[in-house]
Amino acid sequence: MTEEIKATKTLDVCGEICPYPDVKSMATLKKMEKGEVLEILLDYPLSVERLPRNAAKWGHKVLAVEQLEGPNHRILVEAFGLK
Amino acid sequence: MTSAILTGLLVGIAFGFALQRGRFCMNSAFRDIVTMKDYTLLKTVALALLVSMLGFGIMAMTNIITPNPKAIIWGGNIIGSFIFGIGMVLAGGCASGITYRVGEGMVGAMTAVLGLTLAAIATAMGFLKPVKTALQAVKVPAEGSSLTVASILNLDYATVAIGGAIILGLIWWFFARKNKGGEVFDAHKDASLTDKIFKYGWSWFPTGVVIGLIGIVAFPLSAAAGRNYPLGITSGWLKIGQMFMPSVPFADSLKWDMWLIVGIVVGAAIAALIAKEFKVRMPPGRMLVQTFIGGALMGFGAVCSTGCNIGHILSGVPQLSIGSLIAGTSIVLGAWLAAYLMFVRPMAKE
Repeated sequence: MTEEIKATKTLDVCGEICPYPDVKSMATLKKMEKGEVLEILLDYPLSVERLPRNAAKWGHKVLAVEQLEGPNHRILVEAFGLK
Repeated sequence: MTSAILTGLLVGIAFGFALQRGRFCMNSAFRDIVTMKDYTLLKTVALALLVSMLGFGIMAMTNIITPNPKAIIWGGNIIGSFIFGIGMVLAGGCASGITYRVGEGMVGAMTAVLGLTLAAIATAMGFLKPVKTALQAVKVPAEGSSLTVASILNLDYATVAIGGAIILGLIWWFFARKNKGGEVFDAHKDASLTDKIFKYGWSWFPTGVVIGLIGIVAFPLSAAAGRNYPLGITSGWLKIGQMFMPSVPFADSLKWDMWLIVGIVVGAAIAALIAKEFKVRMPPGRMLVQTFIGGALMGFGAVCSTGCNIGHILSGVPQLSIGSLIAGTSIVLGAWLAAYLMFVRPMAKE
């Protein structure tokens, strides 16, 4: 259902331990222009819940949190433009 | 003996299940405040402490338990726990966090647990033992007696625990009502109850209540098995490590706290399998080294301080032990220092 959204950039943080999925994603989002979309691939359950919560808090727009297979998730976030 | 296996395992399975579902981790709880200003897990920890404190107080009043607060060990509580706090940030999880994630299939947690176990053995009986002895040399008051908030106030434990839990709970409720925050992002608001329990992560409130209740149930069951203390992690891993040591009688390892650890890993694995969250996750190689070193610092610190974050914070603070309050503060400060150096400063530079 979110196939039509085109990601500007993809970040694969599968396998990473706490809190690297969040830290790397937030650092990447910070450097992106307003309206650009970051696709995050992750498999750490805590971050799947924490990342959207904090991305929204920093003004970014969470477009989708999709479960792929098992713990593998795909999160799409539109950058707020913090640069 | 048989009952120790049974109750240790069952409490462990329940604990592991709740840890995995609630993503309960004190490392995240303390670290997230400074790295991402996220207070969710901190609220979970605080709630679990209040629930346990109330339960311990009621059980002490009705003579179901005899509180057994840890004694103050200045060097261990201040320095050992501070090193523990640094270690858990490197390890990517607190003692209970890395234990339940073993059941989730996280290889980084397995190396952390290995580091913790080896360092705990080295500190308890190996080449690091002189360091531990030196750190534990200063004991105020004398060994065997233990200072609590209640004993300082010259009041009965049950009164202070029950009264304190109710007063702190009311203060929290009052302030939470006053500053109701904005809408919290919840991807599974409309999910069914079964899905909310078994498929998606629990929110902070039920997690805090359930973890607190497990601590309450653990206390009398562990005491019945001859170990008068609620939950703890490090001593169980130490006993698992000692199984491989010919110098230690095998039977010495088969204790309640060891079965608790086995239960946590099994319980977390069950929870992760039902939720389809089990996966062998291999981090980059240097991360395995980092988590091993982090785990080793935790094992050293916990043995020097006679407790990890579970023994001191989840189990010790509700017993109002001053030693546990000092150790808990040191764990938080160590975690903040490591989080600042590893995450806050590098991110601000970019």
